[in-house]
Amino acid sequence: MNPARRAPIAAALVFGAALLLSVRSAPAWCLAIALASVVWRVLIATGRVSVPRRRPGTRFLLGAVTAVMVVAVAASFRTLNGLAAGTALLVVMGALKLLESRSRRDDAIVIGVALFLLLAAGLGAQGLWRVPLYLVTLWGACAAIALVAHDVPQFTTRAALTLAARALLMAVPLAALCFAFFPRVAGQFWALEAGAGASTGLSDEMSPGSIGKLATEYEPAFRARFEGALPPRAALYWRGPVLDSFDGFTWRRENFPQYDAERPEMVGEPVRYRITLEPTDQPWLFALDTVAASPRRDVYLNRDSMLIAPNPIVTTTSYDAVSHLRTRSAAPLSAGGRSYETRLPPDRNPRARALALEMRARASSDAQYAQAMLDWFRDNGLEYTLEPGTTSIDSVDTTLFDSKRGFCGHFASAYATLMRAAGIPARIVTGYLGGEWNPVGGYLLVRQSEAHAWTEVWLQGRGWVRIDPTAVVAPERLQRGVFDLLPDSLPATSVAFHRSTLLNRLRQLWDGADQWWQEHVVEFNLRAQLHLLEKLGIDSPEWQHLGWAFAAGLLVWISWVALTLRRSVARGRPDRITRAWLRATRKLERVAPARQAHEGPIDFARRVGALRPELAERVAALAARYARLRFGPGAKAAEIASFERDVKLLAV
Amino acid sequence: MGAATQPASSSGKGLGHRLRRRVADWARRRQGEDRLPVPVSTRRIYILPTRGGYAFAALLFVMLIAGLNYGNSVALLITFLLGGFALIAMHLCHRNLAGTVVRSVATVDGFAGEHGRLSITLENTADTPRIGLECACEAARVSLSVPVGATARAELPVELEKRGRVRIERIRLSCAFPFGLFRAWTWLHLPLSLLAWPPPRGQREPPPEAAIGGSATSIHRAGDEEWAGLREFRDGDSPRQVAWGAYARGRGLLVKTYQSPAAHQRTFDFASVPGSDVEQRLEQLAAWIVAAHARGERYGLKIGGQEVAPASGSEHRARCLNGLALYGSGEPW
Repeated sequence: MNPARRAPIAAALVFGAALLLSVRSAPAWCLAIALASVVWRVLIATGRVSVPRRRPGTRFLLGAVTAVMVVAVAASFRTLNGLAAGTALLVVMGALKLLESRSRRDDAIVIGVALFLLLAAGLGAQGLWRVPLYLVTLWGACAAIALVAHDVPQFTTRAALTLAARALLMAVPLAALCFAFFPRVAGQFWALEAGAGASTGLSDEMSPGSIGKLATEYEPAFRARFEGALPPRAALYWRGPVLDSFDGFTWRRENFPQYDAERPEMVGEPVRYRITLEPTDQPWLFALDTVAASPRRDVYLNRDSMLIAPNPIVTTTSYDAVSHLRTRSAAPLSAGGRSYETRLPPDRNPRARALALEMRARASSDAQYAQAMLDWFRDNGLEYTLEPGTTSIDSVDTTLFDSKRGFCGHFASAYATLMRAAGIPARIVTGYLGGEWNPVGGYLLVRQSEAHAWTEVWLQGRGWVRIDPTAVVAPERLQRGVFDLLPDSLPATSVAFHRSTLLNRLRQLWDGADQWWQEHVVEFNLRAQLHLLEKLGIDSPEWQHLGWAFAAGLLVWISWVALTLRRSVARGRPDRITRAWLRATRKLERVAPARQAHEGPIDFARRVGALRPELAERVAALAARYARLRFGPGAKAAEIASFERDVKLLAV
Repeated sequence: MGAATQPASSSGKGLGHRLRRRVADWARRRQGEDRLPVPVSTRRIYILPTRGGYAFAALLFVMLIAGLNYGNSVALLITFLLGGFALIAMHLCHRNLAGTVVRSVATVDGFAGEHGRLSITLENTADTPRIGLECACEAARVSLSVPVGATARAELPVELEKRGRVRIERIRLSCAFPFGLFRAWTWLHLPLSLLAWPPPRGQREPPPEAAIGGSATSIHRAGDEEWAGLREFRDGDSPRQVAWGAYARGRGLLVKTYQSPAAHQRTFDFASVPGSDVEQRLEQLAAWIVAAHARGERYGLKIGGQEVAPASGSEHRARCLNGLALYGSGEPW
């Protein structure tokens, strides 16, 4: 290819690659415009389209288009601040630069914009699978920088790619060093905007069917690594939002406590584990039921045993938690609490209320009533399904008496209603049940499809007791996930994917690698840096130690690079013949004016001979030998050695 | 009116110029005069970022701030990789220049107001090609690449402003290869000078001619030139002109020369050129010499008490013109 054409093509292609990385974050119209200008630029550079002549109005036109684009971006985001709007702006600006690019400098600017887009993509998504894409784009950008800088035919595209790859590979140790020891800042100079992306997951509301929607989502919700043995699967209730306001259809969570209550007393052995939570855009943290204490100072453990962070979780977050599988609460529920947790809309679900009153009258105690109701759930032909059909406004009545079909949310809602109707405090807890053990990474992966809802009932002397009506309707749910239980209602491809052993194995391998990446790279921060120093043997490391470690590593790296790249320089020294002749020249210049640049060895020798006739013969012979060795064909090693010896013997 | 030796330097004033001047003097003191062949050792190479390099550094800084602010590991990794890349780019740039050997620098004189030439031969003894080397002298610059184990020549024009000897203070050899983020350079301080001949101008008739023989020789064989014999090899001679047959017979390294046929002859005498302006008279002489040479005539020159016997050929022409260029300088020629 014509070397002069390579630069714009390389710049355009790198920009195109950066656009592909921004697919999720930039609006479609921006990407379409930018991709069109990439194609146009490549067509022009390859000579398939001729360059339009530059008229006086062109600059004005481009300026006007730029202004329109900026306004359009501002209008579609309502701001020019923030990652998404910034990305869109970069995309548009890069596209316009591409349209008007004429010089190498323009091409270099386009590559710079592409690098910024790469950075924005990295800020937006840090998943392991995107890393190869980032690296390839980086490689292309570096090669493009070289191609833009040099358009000589001797410098092939392949050579540019090789050099860029070599430079980047040699930079890897430095990048690792910087990553480990370059002091990180705790906190931000300016805050990341909330709601960076729409996340799936539990909300603080539950309507019939809302949990069922999550069941089809295969994405991970969080991962849990246990310190000791994995608790029995039927005990893996991951506690999330606690809902205690019901309008007959939807359960909601009140943000402010309506009554005082004591925290339950922990019973039995503690379970220690570390959770890595995917972004939820919600403030709460999940923990195994029931968590004993807040894992972090800024996380609040409320009376419902929910963990609440000060801000919505917008990046992957890890925390260590301690839970107990059993709790006890001897203190009675306050009168306010009792009335609050038994509230029901008076005119909703009349049949369920009637059933509750009738069965409570027959039972001797609250506990017996709760058990009798569970038996009723088991014996009344209720069906556990993801497709329960539509419900009326009296959702509990529909579930219990009409359709007799439901998912965990329906049953939990119905059971809590039946308890409250009988005057027993009850509430809904949403979260996840179970999880998939990953033997590769040694952790439990909990997916969105494990989303679950259950009930808690207040029993005198025992406190809040977890009762899961789904466990009696579909006991297998305690042992297996929804993907195994209800494959017919789920997307066929997802189910096939889930069932294939080989794919499962690969998936677990990949997830293990991804998890490692998350824990050790993505979440690496100042605390992890100091921890690393501790491992390296520095007691109570501080910020300054990082600087020292960084400087030491930098020195080692620079020496390594200098040595590696120096080797071929050493071969570039003048050869032995030339060195010997230079020695001779230096000696002779003590007796004669300096050798002129244009003066050949023979002429120089003649001049020296004229000034010092006694040297003439020897010097002339030496010069002739130099010329012969230097310019003649194939000098022998012995000849060179004898020449060197004679130079050494030359005395003036 | 003397033709003083003039440095071929750009006439710039102001702080920037003075600073450059001082840096140049410092580099010259530090390195000393050079002798050919000059191997470009690492100790004499200077390196600084280019404008693109500074822009790249600014880009990296913004990326670093963004990565640190968001505590984003992937963004930081990208930034650190690019930072390492820039440092490697610096080493690669340095390496591309280091070890180049400046084999020879030949000068080609010319008429004042036109251009002379520097012909710089570079040799690459390393195991990688050297790409995008730039030779620069004053405003003139020329790029070239030297393949592995080969030599390449750069022809650099030198502006000749005034008649006389033009000193070449220094030549800059540099490269921004491979990424254009850094420029590595070295100064060559070689005892180099060019002669600016007086431009051939003047309408007067040349003096009458007489006929004798002569012997101007040249190693370049023009159409009607005849074999003139062998002379000793000098640096800058092409191996193609070496008499390898003679070398094989053990007569040393000799070069074939040629001579043009003799026809007419006349002698141009500075004293006999009318007029009061020395430069104008020299220009007239130059015009005669150029015309006589073009016609293939034999001619001689008498100037400033020195005399060149009548002869012909391009070497003779150069010798005569050199005499004109150095007239009044007191320099032997």
